[in-house]
Amino acid sequence: MRTLVIDSATEACSVALFEGRELIAHEHHVLGRGHAERLVPMIAHLPERGRAGRIAVSRGPGSFTGVRVGIAAARALALAWNAGLVGYATHAMIAAMARAERGAQPVAVCTRGGHGEWFCAQYDAEGRELFAPASLKPEYAAASLSAALVAGGEAETLVERRGAGMAMALWPDARGFAHLNPEALTSDVAAIYGRAPDAKPVAARERT
Amino acid sequence: MALVLGIESSCDETAAALVDGDRRIVAQRIASQDEEHAPYGGVVPEIAARAHADRLAPLIAAVLEEADVTLDQCDAIAATAGPGLIGGVMVGLVSAKALAMASGKPLLAINHLEGHALSPRLADPALEFPYLLLLVSGGHCQLLLVEGVGEYRRLATTIDDALGEAFDKTAKLLGLGYPGGPAVEKLAREGDPKAVPLPRPLVGSKEPHFSFAGLKSAVLRAVESGEHADADIAAGFQQAAVDCLLDRTRRALDRIDTPPALVVAGGVAANQTVRGALEGLAAEHDMRFVAPPLPLCTDNAAMIAWAGIERLPLGQFDPLDVAARPRWPLDPEAEAVRGAGVKA
Repeated sequence: MRTLVIDSATEACSVALFEGRELIAHEHHVLGRGHAERLVPMIAHLPERGRAGRIAVSRGPGSFTGVRVGIAAARALALAWNAGLVGYATHAMIAAMARAERGAQPVAVCTRGGHGEWFCAQYDAEGRELFAPASLKPEYAAASLSAALVAGGEAETLVERRGAGMAMALWPDARGFAHLNPEALTSDVAAIYGRAPDAKPVAARERT
Repeated sequence: MALVLGIESSCDETAAALVDGDRRIVAQRIASQDEEHAPYGGVVPEIAARAHADRLAPLIAAVLEEADVTLDQCDAIAATAGPGLIGGVMVGLVSAKALAMASGKPLLAINHLEGHALSPRLADPALEFPYLLLLVSGGHCQLLLVEGVGEYRRLATTIDDALGEAFDKTAKLLGLGYPGGPAVEKLAREGDPKAVPLPRPLVGSKEPHFSFAGLKSAVLRAVESGEHADADIAAGFQQAAVDCLLDRTRRALDRIDTPPALVVAGGVAANQTVRGALEGLAAEHDMRFVAPPLPLCTDNAAMIAWAGIERLPLGQFDPLDVAARPRWPLDPEAEAVRGAGVKA
């Protein structure tokens, strides 16, 4: 079966097309901004405009907008092609890429969050989730993430703060899909934002 | 027969609709987010964007299923590309791009204001160009001379708040909840519109624009004074708003060749007192008065699909990398107005 993988949840934006486990085509950019403009044309450049029987999409956490752009595109394509739809956490993808490069071992994943916090998660040597993605203050992140190998955009900062371990500065890439533990795939593709919206109910505002 | 799928997600309504060239709304669905935003007393952009992302795809699927139509049968996919809350606009626009790309159909990135401006023609086949349009909603307050598809001359806009915002603010001050327009209108029926002295900003002024910030502040002072019944404040506010609309519309009419029709659109056009007053003004000027049915006045996707139908013959389709635009004036020639912001 052909699988289209869409990962636009972070500064990186990537797409990959697989036939079974074989990579047919891919594109990856570290964009920062502009995912809403670039993503669909990137899919359109894939063979047969990326048409697949199954679509896999990163659910986040990452940038709120990037997460939504990927999920909106994936849901619309699934509707148009009557394709299956699965989701995975950004951090599971980063851990899978780290294992593929450095061998099977536990991986901590640390990426930039909002308000000075980091999105952190940890996976075992097979890629099973030990610690689901959560937004943590850097000091808690350093205390909570025990794996020696740390991957992600904030890996170096975390290793420095922790004073131990090995950092891999990695951004998610849809090509890493082949290395994902199948358990990381969910039929629920609702966004994992990792943080509540910045807004206070009127009642809470009046109390403060 | 042309058939267009329309998508709207620029504020707090998630909507999808199929409209054909015979002015038939083949199917449509709207999911309101009122409940999500009510605790905050107004629309929170991030909450709106999250709700659009959760709801839009199932709404589109439901509309296609209800109409028993596939994307292959559509002639184009139209989506609001701005102006509005950018997070929500992106969800709708990216969904539309993906649908268009996957089905090989053209994409139409529609200006939300154009949707409102052309929606009266969806409801009324006899409405020809040109017409004077008063667009009054929570995000906008403008007078536009609509001369054709893509030909809009802005005659006036607000220099501060949109009228719908002032209605919502008044409702909030009176503890009527969100959205406030219908609640203020209901309470106003029980009040005396002359009991509370309230200002009519810019009425009689030479400049063409609208202003409602001063009226909003005066309502705040009236509420805080504790001297007035809530119903009188609501009635006084609504009357002041109507007086502003009438004065500004008269001023605009004095400066153009009177077009055959006066049209009102946008969420505030659902207000019966506003409608009644404008109908009277149209009669004074021997103009037809056209107000779309209420569900077409508030944000909806049928008007976006209809704008798509109107644009189809022009053949101006949009590329898949077209950007969402938080600000997007309908009339690019219109002079910038201080304070208008996205309401320009």
